[in-house]
Amino acid sequence: MPEERNEGRGTSGEGGGALPIENPKSEIRNPKSRGEGRLLGLIPLSWRYDLAALPGVRWLLKRRWFPMIAILVNLFIFMGILTGGILGGFSPGNYSFTIMIVWILWWVMLMLVLVPVFSRTWCMVCPLPAFGEWLQRLKVFGVNNQLQGLNLKWPRRLRNMWLMNFLFLGTTFFSGFFTVKPLATFMLLGSIIVLGIVIMLIFEKRSFCLYICPVSGFQGLYSNMAMTEVRVKDPAICAKHKTKTCETGNKRGYGCPWLLEPHSFTRNTYCGMCLECFKTCPFDNVAFNLRPPGTDLLVNDKRGLDEAWKGFIMLGIAIMFYTAMMGPWGWLKEMVRGATLGGWLTFVAIHAAFNLLALPGVFLVFAWLAKALSGDRNVALKAVFVNLSYAMVPMGLAAWIAFSFGFLLPNGSYILHILSDPFARGWNLIGTAGFPWTPVLTGWLVPFQYVSLLVGLVFGADYGYKLARQTFADERAARRGFIPLLAFLVLVALFFGWLYGG
Amino acid sequence: MNATKFILVAAAVLACTILPILATIGYEAVRTQGITHEVLARAPERGNYLPRHIKAQAGKLVRLRIRNVDTVTHGFTLPDFGIDVGDLKAGHSTIVEFTPQKPGTHAFYCTVWCSDHHLQMRGTVEVVAP
Repeated sequence: MPEERNEGRGTSGEGGGALPIENPKSEIRNPKSRGEGRLLGLIPLSWRYDLAALPGVRWLLKRRWFPMIAILVNLFIFMGILTGGILGGFSPGNYSFTIMIVWILWWVMLMLVLVPVFSRTWCMVCPLPAFGEWLQRLKVFGVNNQLQGLNLKWPRRLRNMWLMNFLFLGTTFFSGFFTVKPLATFMLLGSIIVLGIVIMLIFEKRSFCLYICPVSGFQGLYSNMAMTEVRVKDPAICAKHKTKTCETGNKRGYGCPWLLEPHSFTRNTYCGMCLECFKTCPFDNVAFNLRPPGTDLLVNDKRGLDEAWKGFIMLGIAIMFYTAMMGPWGWLKEMVRGATLGGWLTFVAIHAAFNLLALPGVFLVFAWLAKALSGDRNVALKAVFVNLSYAMVPMGLAAWIAFSFGFLLPNGSYILHILSDPFARGWNLIGTAGFPWTPVLTGWLVPFQYVSLLVGLVFGADYGYKLARQTFADERAARRGFIPLLAFLVLVALFFGWLYGG
Repeated sequence: MNATKFILVAAAVLACTILPILATIGYEAVRTQGITHEVLARAPERGNYLPRHIKAQAGKLVRLRIRNVDTVTHGFTLPDFGIDVGDLKAGHSTIVEFTPQKPGTHAFYCTVWCSDHHLQMRGTVEVVAP
């Protein structure tokens, strides 16, 4: 399983009572009010509803063919995406199946619905690692726990998000090509598949998804905000279960492909929701919970600088994407799309420095102010930096949701065209090839974006205060330490507000 | 695993991987059966018409597909045969037909001011004797 990296204090067992959620790693020290155990002072953070308690849902989640059947359907669409990358290799982006499905439909669905509501359900149905996994298992639907390949352990030093951070940031260096050239998207997706196969034949299980896939990292971090989770129902049952079939596998399913301990993991971050634990648990002790959004942000388990940086990188990329794709700065567009090599290299340097140094650097100043104002001398600056950085998750997700509206409302109608003429060859499969470009509700675009940002700010502030309570010694220190964090959140929200609607 | 199960799983995997590619190629092959020439339309600085010179035989039907694979609107006119497709938007394509009767060279060109080099966006149809 991913390396343990608890940062800072307030992890467990210290001081007063716990939040009314069962996980001891999410304690707030010396809680004073009932509101601290509630989201926005309203919804108890411990509230859960097991969707799998519904008979049809549990039946589905326990089927051996699910989610593989969804992966196959997805693979069918994906082959169309890859085919479009070659057949429509020089088509304009808005009339390319490859670009519209990947960068408009998929990306927008990911940010608007899949991650905020359903956590990592995309990973559940992702076709990219399918080939590698089939080669490991030599099975498509069935179970064979004698996995093929070298099954090496992933290097300990790389058991974190750093590699994914750099790979995802590196991918965005080419964003000026991916979003307009189908062939570039084909090359990106093709190389992920090939790399996935190679890595999965060398390293055990889903090491590729856990430590390399560029899409995996941000889904992991942002799924902390999700409204759903896979968790055990009763940990006491697991404690008595000696064989831990959720880890080892049995004839009904595989041992956790994501290298977790399904009986005790506490955050969505590294759970790919593959549902194998539903199959392998002999006690039917796994739940698919509906929950208040964001409760994982308070779980101090494997928090680290890598995840903090992921948050800043996502924030920085949202800024860069907007300025380059939808902003009025033509010179920047020229740089991003590589009109000249010098311009593109300048963009790469500025973009990397902004994401890796400038944004975290500014936050470090605010973290230092938080520590100084709190008066808590015992807490390490690194712990303040890491813990408080998780308040950026709701804000970052909101910025991406707002950004996604900016894509979807003006450009969504192109999807009807490309469904009929996916490869820009004059087809009219479902009779919508002539459907004109029709912006939808664009008059409401900026209000939608402002509401998204406001919701992100409110959630960020609420969780920010709770994180401050986890970090600092007592309520007074937390209140003082929270002020710089709130200021940072407000500045970020105002900046995005200016960017999107100013 | 019994044989039936194996065949069903293999069929499902093939249907989701190879089938979409074969179906695309097959459908496109059927659709383009009667097309004698294809011209890609791009602004001159991005490659111009491709090909810029088309050979046709006098007395034989020419079925020409023009595909705008550029990011801007283009046009296509072949005045000697009374052909003008109007605005051909980015990503769109159209098919024109004509039957040249006698040998000669006929110019075609873009009718939309598509770039600074728009006036260079032109080509020829060379009609040869049968």
